[in-house]
Amino acid sequence: MRTRKGTLIKDIKRQKYIYLMIFIPLVFYTVFKYIPLWNAQIAFRDFKSVRYGIIDSPFVGLKNFKEFISSYYFWNLIKNTLMYSFGKLLISLPSAVILSLAIYECRRPALRKTVQTLAYLPHFLSWVIMYGILLSLFAPGDGIVNDVLKSLGHKPIDFLTNSNTFPFLVIFSDAWKEMGWSAIIFIAALMGIDVSLFEAAMVEGATSWQRIRYITLPAIRPVIVIVLLLKIGTIMEAGFNQIFMLYSPAVYNVADIIDTWVYRQGLLDGRFGLATAAGLFKGVIGMLLILSSNYFSKKYTDNSLF
Amino acid sequence: MRKRMDVVLVLLLAISTLVFAQGGKESTTKSAGPTKIEMWYTATQTEVGPLPDDWVGYQILKDKFNIELEASSLPSSTTDQDMKIQAAAAADMLPDFFVANREVWLRLANNGMLADVTDLYDKMPNRTKIMFDKDAIAFTTLNGRSYGFATPAMISRNEGLLIRKDWLDRLGLAVPKTTEELVNVMRAFTFNDPDGNGKNDTWGYGAFIEVTTYEAYPGRRFQPLMGAFGVEGTWDMTAANFGLQIHKPEFYDFMKFMKSIIDEGLIDPNWMAYKKDDFRAAWKQGKFGIMREQNAAYAAKNNYSPFDANFPDGEWIIIDPPVGPTGKSSVGPETRGLRIWCISAKAAEEGKAEKIAEMFEWMASGEGYFLCGWGQEGVNYTLKDGIPVTVPGDLGFEGPVGQRYIQLRSMAFNYSSDTELISRYPVYTTDVSKKQMSALWALREMQSKKWTNSMGADSMPVPSTDLKTFYEQGLAEFFTGKRALTAENWKSFVAEFDKIGGTAWEKAGFEYAKANSYLK
Amino acid sequence: MKHNSSKTSVTVKLTGSDKVFNVVVNVFMVFILLVLAIPLWSTITLSFRPATFIGTYIEGMALPPWRWSFAAYEALLGNNGFILAFMNSFKIITQGVAVALLLTIPLAYGLSVKNLRGRKWITLFVIVPYVFNVGLVPTYILIAKLKLVNHLSSIYLPMAIGTYNCLIMKSFFEGIPNELKESAHIDGCNDVQVLIRIILPLSKAIIMTIGLYYGVAFWNDYFHPMLYLNKDNLRPLPILLRNILMAAGMNEFVEASAFGEAPIEAIKAASVFMSAIPMIIVYPFIQKYFTKGTLLGSVKG
Repeated sequence: MRTRKGTLIKDIKRQKYIYLMIFIPLVFYTVFKYIPLWNAQIAFRDFKSVRYGIIDSPFVGLKNFKEFISSYYFWNLIKNTLMYSFGKLLISLPSAVILSLAIYECRRPALRKTVQTLAYLPHFLSWVIMYGILLSLFAPGDGIVNDVLKSLGHKPIDFLTNSNTFPFLVIFSDAWKEMGWSAIIFIAALMGIDVSLFEAAMVEGATSWQRIRYITLPAIRPVIVIVLLLKIGTIMEAGFNQIFMLYSPAVYNVADIIDTWVYRQGLLDGRFGLATAAGLFKGVIGMLLILSSNYFSKKYTDNSLF
Repeated sequence: MRKRMDVVLVLLLAISTLVFAQGGKESTTKSAGPTKIEMWYTATQTEVGPLPDDWVGYQILKDKFNIELEASSLPSSTTDQDMKIQAAAAADMLPDFFVANREVWLRLANNGMLADVTDLYDKMPNRTKIMFDKDAIAFTTLNGRSYGFATPAMISRNEGLLIRKDWLDRLGLAVPKTTEELVNVMRAFTFNDPDGNGKNDTWGYGAFIEVTTYEAYPGRRFQPLMGAFGVEGTWDMTAANFGLQIHKPEFYDFMKFMKSIIDEGLIDPNWMAYKKDDFRAAWKQGKFGIMREQNAAYAAKNNYSPFDANFPDGEWIIIDPPVGPTGKSSVGPETRGLRIWCISAKAAEEGKAEKIAEMFEWMASGEGYFLCGWGQEGVNYTLKDGIPVTVPGDLGFEGPVGQRYIQLRSMAFNYSSDTELISRYPVYTTDVSKKQMSALWALREMQSKKWTNSMGADSMPVPSTDLKTFYEQGLAEFFTGKRALTAENWKSFVAEFDKIGGTAWEKAGFEYAKANSYLK
Repeated sequence: MKHNSSKTSVTVKLTGSDKVFNVVVNVFMVFILLVLAIPLWSTITLSFRPATFIGTYIEGMALPPWRWSFAAYEALLGNNGFILAFMNSFKIITQGVAVALLLTIPLAYGLSVKNLRGRKWITLFVIVPYVFNVGLVPTYILIAKLKLVNHLSSIYLPMAIGTYNCLIMKSFFEGIPNELKESAHIDGCNDVQVLIRIILPLSKAIIMTIGLYYGVAFWNDYFHPMLYLNKDNLRPLPILLRNILMAAGMNEFVEASAFGEAPIEAIKAASVFMSAIPMIIVYPFIQKYFTKGTLLGSVKG
């Protein structure tokens, strides 16, 4: 009779090369990801500097968390963070998939090559320069869009400082910037589809629409699911660099996300215990989300992270 | 056998990449030789590149003082600087000698990261005489001990209210003196085509949001307008009327004034979206006719020449700030603009504090002063009547290579001596319009206008982030019209502000000002 | 770039629905083209804008090439820090991508083995820090303790195993048919040899993609160099660019210009393009790997 322990050793021996292979990366991972997690206990302490020790810093329990949660703007921050994350998921992810499909299916080589070359360029523009681009397009005084509006007799709209338009500006400019880049991974997946499937479909008289629906999309569904799950895991990170460059007091109420608040309150003020506490808070929420969405994904789509 | 070899190979590869990635070992052995000082400075011109390795000063410091200086520049954005210094403090990686603004200094001092430098002032007699008066020492004093050297970082009163004279002339208008006249001029500038190009593309006032601790939202560029109502600056520092300006009833009058010029369209509508560079590009392109600007940003050759090329007949003049309905006026609050040079506690423990003081003293006068301020005589500058003048060509201190040799200027300068001012702001002739201009003349005129003495306002307690957000967001929403500017709404805004911390902030400010004798 | 139709040649008539489909695809592509091109063109013309240009942004975009000024590019290339920063970035990216791939590939492959004992827990182990991004100071403390401050490796080591990249790669490995692995085992290969001899040659597309993702992340990172590199001669390109872009931060010495007559907006736009050029040059080479239409390497659930 084999004991479970016996099976365990046998399994490890059988797959010893696999374990060997993942050993060093895991050690590396432990050092560079888990030690900082241990250092993150400064969230529970009145931490000033390593000079006075991490463990030696007085333990204050959940004080930093309480301060974060009782901020006057706490619920606003959560609302905005989720708004941008979900908004970007809704717009950016489908746009990337659709773009990759369009590139894959486009039968005009010149058009296809041009789009494919241009699509990933915006990713390299930092948000500092993107702010300039958005200003040139949407500035209330002389932006291109407003010039067009003015010539049509409409009053100029202050897109960047209007709290109704600002969220859309954020979500769509992010989609514009990242669409082509995110599409790369989907194009790579599309490249791997067995072409004989398409030919079989054509023989059976399937239209292009049906081909997309029944062959292409299902073939890349696993990648989409993985990307979706990973993005859900980081839903509490709504794009700090972008918002930081684009926001201003006029739109604080719709622009402030957790990270920008942490930047002002925690990082610029040197209150790193608080900043870390907010980070851990985000992590707990993210962990819950990723575990639950992974569960549902496994149940209903056969794909999951683990 | 082959299998084993493969495994060994993979392992070796993995390990070697880690070792290779580690790079060389860093040797921080403390030898009996020269004192190594690591210094972080704010560069004069971050874009041109850091202090070159062949800077003569390095050798002089080694020979004369037995100091091996390792200088590296801080990032050019002030928020990046603050974050870098504070993160380094948290990880106990502060350099030996570095510069910071007061808020950061205060936090570091309170966290025990800085050295007590009270006794070092005696080691720097020249520098102390030039710049460390009672107020400067008090600026960095906590519980009777000083924890940093408060050095001037800017010329005082170096901004002014500027208006396009050629536009005034073309429209036949007089220089406005009151707020009412100013608004009329703004209207004319916006609607009456002051540049005569037939296009409706000009505005009266131009600005951008530039907030400091003592110039709260909407910030520095609007101080002349706020001064007309007696609400310039964050604080009223007079003993009689002390308090946050926002608590004054006149602040509501200012808000109404602002709202009216915004609604009428008299101000460049990009003012909320501009960053500093955009604002400066805008006036050089003739977008608006009235602004508050800094003397060198306006009149120095490099900055004026695009404007000159675009508008050879264009002319700006410096005018008095407008007088408001109650007879008040001011260009804005005046502070000393000090930044603090700090010695880290670790450096003091390693016995480096005195050497640092020696070096700092050397930079304040004589050989070190000229070297850090202008470079080497004959190489980077020549003396004309005792004033350093740039050598033509790349090596001159105004040339692309020479600029790198004066990156430490802010450590040497005192920002008020004639030598510095005449040298920095020479008289020149503009390229296109052949006018004689000088940023020094602009400066002198700006300094002669009416400013509000607000000494100490830049060291007052700062609001919590949430309170600051509420303050700025609230005002911004009134300006954009998101919230209607009525007396009732304003009252409830201020009441809410007080409730979430405004009252406490004002009280903290009062106690601080009283304790430090800042009340005028 | 696509269908490897060497196997069969089936001629099928295009139905009306297919024609509509093609039109829709083409219209969409043109729309995307405009949406991409207009802002990009606006930025390109901005980088060539002469200091004496007055006008609206639309007029700026229509500026004819003979009025373009190269002053911004000349100023940047003449900036002696530029070459040094470029070389530092180059070092970081080559070392970084090599280390990252060397660590990520074995981990991704190991986790893709379906019957690996403890696979679920190890994957969870990998995901947890991804979600709990503890940020600035805890990582800084570690870097300081490891004495990696002022080493270029401090830039890429913390990010050398990107969870996102690793798990995507794992998905792709999972899609490689087991039969290939089985037959290799039968031939006497151990897992390591299977990885090196069978899997890697088939996974060129995904490895290139992930390598590109790492490369771009390292190339654009200014945050870690700003914190960890305290020596001016170690600083990579993003730091130089950020200093240029944010130079308005320090107000005091505005009288001197670092860039001669080029207007600051042109400098900013030009600097962004200059920093993106290496990626723009590299990407088409990588794109070639996407044209082979590999049978394998597709993702299976």
